[in-house]
Amino acid sequence: MFLKKLCAKAFTKSLWIYHINTGSCNGCDIEIVDVITPYYDAERFGIKLAGSPRHADIMLVSGPVTRQALPSLKRAYDAIPDPKLVIVVGSCGCGGNLWFDTYNVTGGVDKVIPVNFYIPGCPPRPEAILYGVAVALGLAPKKVQAEATAEGPIREGMWK
Amino acid sequence: MTKQDILSLLKAKLGAGFMGSTEPIHDQLWVEVKPEAVVQAVEILHRQTPARYLVSVGSDERDIKKRFAVYHLFTFDKDHFFITLDVTADPHTPRIPSITNVIAGANWSEREIRDLLGIQFENHPDPRRLILADDWPAEVYPLRKEFDYSQKPESHPEQAYKFKDNPPGTTVVAMGPYFPVFEEATYFRLYVEGEKVVDVDYRGFYAHRGIEKLGDQTLTYNQIPFMAERICGICGFVHNVSFCKLVEHAADIKVPRRADFIRTIMLELERIHSHALWLGVAGHIIGFDTVLMQTWRMREPIMWLCEKITGNRKTYGMNLIGGVRRDIPRTLVPEIRTKMNNMEKEWLAVLDAVKDDTTLRMRLEKVGILNKEGCHEWAAVGPVARAADLDMDARKDHPYCAYDAVDFKVITADSNDVWGRTVVRILETLESFKIVNQSLDALMELPEGDIITEIRQDIPAGRIAISAVEAPRGEDVHFLLTGGNNRPERWRVRCPTYPNLPTIPDMVRGEQVADVPIIVGSIDPCFSCTERMEVVDVDSGKIRIYGQEELSSWTAKHS
Repeated sequence: MFLKKLCAKAFTKSLWIYHINTGSCNGCDIEIVDVITPYYDAERFGIKLAGSPRHADIMLVSGPVTRQALPSLKRAYDAIPDPKLVIVVGSCGCGGNLWFDTYNVTGGVDKVIPVNFYIPGCPPRPEAILYGVAVALGLAPKKVQAEATAEGPIREGMWK
Repeated sequence: MTKQDILSLLKAKLGAGFMGSTEPIHDQLWVEVKPEAVVQAVEILHRQTPARYLVSVGSDERDIKKRFAVYHLFTFDKDHFFITLDVTADPHTPRIPSITNVIAGANWSEREIRDLLGIQFENHPDPRRLILADDWPAEVYPLRKEFDYSQKPESHPEQAYKFKDNPPGTTVVAMGPYFPVFEEATYFRLYVEGEKVVDVDYRGFYAHRGIEKLGDQTLTYNQIPFMAERICGICGFVHNVSFCKLVEHAADIKVPRRADFIRTIMLELERIHSHALWLGVAGHIIGFDTVLMQTWRMREPIMWLCEKITGNRKTYGMNLIGGVRRDIPRTLVPEIRTKMNNMEKEWLAVLDAVKDDTTLRMRLEKVGILNKEGCHEWAAVGPVARAADLDMDARKDHPYCAYDAVDFKVITADSNDVWGRTVVRILETLESFKIVNQSLDALMELPEGDIITEIRQDIPAGRIAISAVEAPRGEDVHFLLTGGNNRPERWRVRCPTYPNLPTIPDMVRGEQVADVPIIVGSIDPCFSCTERMEVVDVDSGKIRIYGQEELSSWTAKHS
């Protein structure tokens, strides 16, 4: 709830998105670009891809975070001004996908930086990406309930 | 040249350096040479015959043959066969002569083998790290059999990549690792004098996922096609077909004809959407966003069509060894035809708009020159080579799937520049429409439902296969050495960007800084393919079985 209120307060205007690829196969990345092209047209919601992390409100991360990409990801995250949201796109970023525990892969973005929203799929459809971002912004209702696991209830999202 | 001609030439010139030859499969020639004769052998093939260098593969065979092996792969395009030079390295101190001084294109392959297997190459002109991360310790070689796949060695930042020194009087312009116009992480370090690029250094491999060790302990022939598809999110089906072809080739499995045609259709649909994607991205790079929006709008119906046929927009999960998993029913054929015709009409309009656009031509003509000799030296493939007037296309040279039964032209251009590559790609897409339509005709004739061959026996160990499949970016080469336990002993993928990317320094030298992104874009780079290192080794007898407890503890961790 806290997050939702904060989103409603902090992100009232156009949101700029910084997309970072941490070793993904390109599948998610082309679907992200697809979202800004005519059929899906995310720009009608004021969403725009920004070239620099310093201009962005939201970080869209794809890829399983390889060892080589890790330092750059941390630096890019620090460069985004607060308050910021991190949305992970694709199975690789959500949990590492097929290569989640290989020697060169960290295995999921949430091992490295706090993540607020996950958009799973290999790759997720453009509609799914749009929907995920819309849920994050409070434009659309959530379709799944939070569930308790052995480790306790899933948090609504971490906030730094 | 026939295989016999090559053999007698090598025998005569190498003398005692020639150790023997075999023909494992009808389209292959396997020649064993002594390490001291390998440079001479490569020189003969590269300079005196029409052979084209493909890739070098390193392999840890200490368990089975008490040696490290390096295979140099060449192809004779017009004679439709491959030749492999097999070189043995000592199991304790592996060291063999480098061939990079003869073929510039071998540079990356050799550095990769050094990084991952620890085989040293004497007289290598640029022995820097290529694949492993900046903080990876020295002398830890992940592809060796004793290395456990999930080991994560401690950080050793002193191993960081050393960039070339600035040439005197130049300034450094960094492009990357995250640069706005590239979708993927890559780092070009430009040395510039004013606006002119004097030299360039490259550091990539941000997408090295190290899949080989995962395959070591968990994946089998049946599962690898799905992983192969995830090497690349754009040309995944190509990798998938390449791998299936390899195993079918090695184990002599016959694929039903209908499956061949379905594969051909999917490969061509992939080429169509990939070229549309590329044209859009190229437009975006030079600031012509209308092209991006229009081509991606046209591309979308193709994605929907792929979804209708396979169930997913990308990573189709369509292919298995022996055939395909889903049929294209006759009822769907008219719809595919309509979509093809609509797209073809729109594509002709694009061709019309692009070919007479003065702004585009001024940006693209005489930029990023790479001529025939350069292509041969770097072993460049695909539209880069075809724009330098090299008639080279795996669909014609090494026919696979149903390409022997369809009629199409190989498009070439002779301008050697970015414009040539653009034209080649646009015209090639028109050929793809033709191929799809012809394959649909064939589907109407062939009986429905006959799409996969059941494989009852094991895939025999110790077999060798090479496959070449024409991806949208160029020729994709896979190499396989089969092993026991239902998995490969060694599987190596050489994607088309792998030989094309090292040509960038030659292309950008002397150009303007502003032209660098479009020159890099003109090879249609796909870094995730290049950096995959998709190699599967079998760890003899050591198979780890994950218990229920471990699995649930992971589930909790990842939820």
